[in-house]
Amino acid sequence: MQSSSRLLALLALGTALVSVPALAEMSGTLNLNGATGLIDMPSGEAQKDATFSFSTSLIGQITRSTISFQFSERLSGSFRFQTWRDWDALIPGDSEESDRSIDLRYQVLKEGRITPALTIGLQDLTAQGLFASEYVAATKTFGDKVKVTAGLGWGRLGTDGGIGSPFGSRPPVDPTGTPNADQWFRGEAAPFAGVEYKVNDNWTLKAEYSSDAYVLEDAERGLIERDSPFNFGVEYQRSPYMRFGAYSLYGSEFALAFHIILDPKSRATGGIVGKAPVPVKARPARGADPEAYDGGWVTQPEAGPILRQNLAKRLAADGIAIENLAYTADTVQVRIRNGRIDAGSQAVGRTARALSHVMPASVEVFEIVPVVNGIGASKVTIRRSDLEALEYTADNATLLRERVTVTDAGPAPAWSLGDEELYPKFRWSLRPVVRLSEPMEGDVGLRLSSTYDIAPGWVLSGSIYKELASNRDLSTSSSVLPHVRTDGSRYTEFGDPALERLTLAWFARPGENLYSRVSVGYLERMHAGVSGELLWKPVDSQLALGAELNYTKQRDTDGGLGFDEYDYDIMTGYVSAYYDFGNGYLGQLDVGKYLAGDVGATVSVDRVFANGWRVGAFATVTDASAEEFGEGGFDKGVRITIPFNWALGTDTRRGFDLNFRPSGGDGGARLNVDDRLYQSIREYHTDGLDPDWGRVWR
Amino acid sequence: MTLPKSLIAGLVALALVGACGNDRAPNPVLAAVGAAAKTSVSKMKGQKAGTAPATKAASPEELRAELAQAGKPVLLVSSKALGQTGFLMVSDAKGGVLTWATPDGATFTQRDGVLIQTRGLGADLMSAQAPSVSQLMQAGARYQRVYFFLGGDDQGTRRTYDCATSVVGPENIDVLGRAHATIHVTETCARSTGGGKLTNEFWIEGSMIRQSRQWVSAGIGFIDFARVID
Repeated sequence: MQSSSRLLALLALGTALVSVPALAEMSGTLNLNGATGLIDMPSGEAQKDATFSFSTSLIGQITRSTISFQFSERLSGSFRFQTWRDWDALIPGDSEESDRSIDLRYQVLKEGRITPALTIGLQDLTAQGLFASEYVAATKTFGDKVKVTAGLGWGRLGTDGGIGSPFGSRPPVDPTGTPNADQWFRGEAAPFAGVEYKVNDNWTLKAEYSSDAYVLEDAERGLIERDSPFNFGVEYQRSPYMRFGAYSLYGSEFALAFHIILDPKSRATGGIVGKAPVPVKARPARGADPEAYDGGWVTQPEAGPILRQNLAKRLAADGIAIENLAYTADTVQVRIRNGRIDAGSQAVGRTARALSHVMPASVEVFEIVPVVNGIGASKVTIRRSDLEALEYTADNATLLRERVTVTDAGPAPAWSLGDEELYPKFRWSLRPVVRLSEPMEGDVGLRLSSTYDIAPGWVLSGSIYKELASNRDLSTSSSVLPHVRTDGSRYTEFGDPALERLTLAWFARPGENLYSRVSVGYLERMHAGVSGELLWKPVDSQLALGAELNYTKQRDTDGGLGFDEYDYDIMTGYVSAYYDFGNGYLGQLDVGKYLAGDVGATVSVDRVFANGWRVGAFATVTDASAEEFGEGGFDKGVRITIPFNWALGTDTRRGFDLNFRPSGGDGGARLNVDDRLYQSIREYHTDGLDPDWGRVWR
Repeated sequence: MTLPKSLIAGLVALALVGACGNDRAPNPVLAAVGAAAKTSVSKMKGQKAGTAPATKAASPEELRAELAQAGKPVLLVSSKALGQTGFLMVSDAKGGVLTWATPDGATFTQRDGVLIQTRGLGADLMSAQAPSVSQLMQAGARYQRVYFFLGGDDQGTRRTYDCATSVVGPENIDVLGRAHATIHVTETCARSTGGGKLTNEFWIEGSMIRQSRQWVSAGIGFIDFARVID
């Protein structure tokens, strides 16, 4: 997991740039566990659809850091990292214990006039079970100030004040930590309840009766003194983005909570900022100036270079480079490389506006081909007269989209003018990097990256990473599988600085709807070799199919060029299906052989927002047994992309990527090769262009 | 588990120094700080950064004379909410549609003085189905008005209003030291679904909108326009 940048700065700005602080209607507040609820107990409510939150809470010797996401109106999930300090207070051993947990919640009933909101939740549903509990909670609002919650909990939430075991006894925790479904809603159940009083838009008071006896922390480890089941607290909503809480817990402890609440659907800046586009240039009426429409100019040899130069100058303002320009008297095809604008539709719109200024009046058809890694991703065909007619028309985005076609890019026309200055082109950057392996654990450093474009589709690139600071400890893997991933901390420790990547990649279009990639070299920091990929994806298809084949050797941990430390090489490969379910939900299924030689399948689901936000989860099950995999049982995790421009509103295609796994293992591991095809080209296909098509006029 | 101080210091330092290279991605942090600084400076001046200089000492007449020197139309735009005022020039003219641009790259597009688009403001009006001047001048005219926006997730959204005009009466107004005899017209609009009301105001001289107060978007609110030089 690596990420190229500055989460802290991003978040700070995200909160500082708020111009219109209309307090969002609080659909539900967050509790100490980062889940919707009271203080330590959950509630029947949900967050507003797509709400994304980071929560940190301190409860005596316990720290909980949680990321939560309201995946749909009713379904939400959390990833939590929990630490207990003074773990050796009573029992000798490690002074600190940590645990990762995943929750899922589903709101069965939304609040009605008479009916309460009702949620069923599974807390810590896969890991070793230190935090495992299940619950049903109901919440009813009275007026606009008071909310009352009552619920029934099992597991941890059934440890105090139990009323018996309605669904039988709870079997012991399966130590391998696969979904512990046989435990769910089993064992002693106990009621909990609470009340929330909203004093005003900023201040909220809460009180609750907890059914969690804190057996682990109190009786077993002596970390917390639980004297009473009652908790009290006060919360302060500083802005729509920040909430603080202070609590008295269990008659003895003091707790603090801090939440950062982000809404991917609402830009912090209210909208994309950045300069207005140049107006579309109107051609003279044909009747008034028929000579302007004469196509004779195409025979002039100097026309091409001049047109290309003029167009390049205009597009440079938007960070767009011309790969190719081809024209006849009535059609122009321009192949563009979009380096900065985050929305494909806006890049297309800016190019069309520039063409209206540069191309002679006889050119009626604009074919715009966005190029990614040297290959055409799609062809957007716009009639110039539509562009002119619709510029100031109401609902011009919808009207233009009805008249525009998006088709396969096809090959570049044979007579086209390439840009001699574009190839080869050397680009480099030196950027600070934060690599997190847990919400609060990882390292920061500098990454020197460079790319050399040899010819269209041929890219030589590499990167070197130098660590500046780290709070990650060297750990020894006890995995019985080949250590294809679990020696990660050794790579971090011994490979400093490290050559992360050094690859030659070749991208091509073997046929209509087909895309291919071959990468050779040091593909990632742990493995090197050859990786090949073929993708079938018609531009307007919701379905895509792919195949990948890799042969790799495991690299030395020192970040150098050698292969002496591990005598490990393997052929891996997958067939993949990608499906766009609509409304931003993407699914992917990969079946094949993984790095440790295990065979299985990966399912992933992502929610993708038109503005670039992406939140998803993945799970891989292979024939590596749960014992072979280790603590987590099988590979699974969550992945998040936050685009910088969502917080800043400025033109940038960069973002912050996070990947979290509750437990790492060697099973179900895939090669981390750059520029996989589906992600790279989807932006310019209809399913990528249409959600934010309106930005074509931006 | 806590972060070592060196790590925190490192993070802060990294956030500040940003990145370098010839890979021309702007540093978003510095860009935002720059933008914020620019906004606050122009707010203090009560004037949009970089627009025609309007020193407080100059009388309206002097200012008008200065603006008239260019021999081009000038539109005075001011937003109380944004705390900004500026004199804008035409950047595009197509029939009755004029686009007025600020030097820092925002634009306001009007069809015969009725706002139909903005760009570069953030919460922009992407397009609009708006009344014509003759509709506005017709007392009691009823029509639908539709505003088109991009939501925070960049998806297209719209707001539809049912509007009615009413003539307040003749009014003499002063625009930068010059008197104009106008008819004051208000356009009252109620959202067809979901509630919400707004009132646009127009001061029409002959068949020209001399001055107006028009709604842009939920994020921007109302903006005042006055045609200073024709």
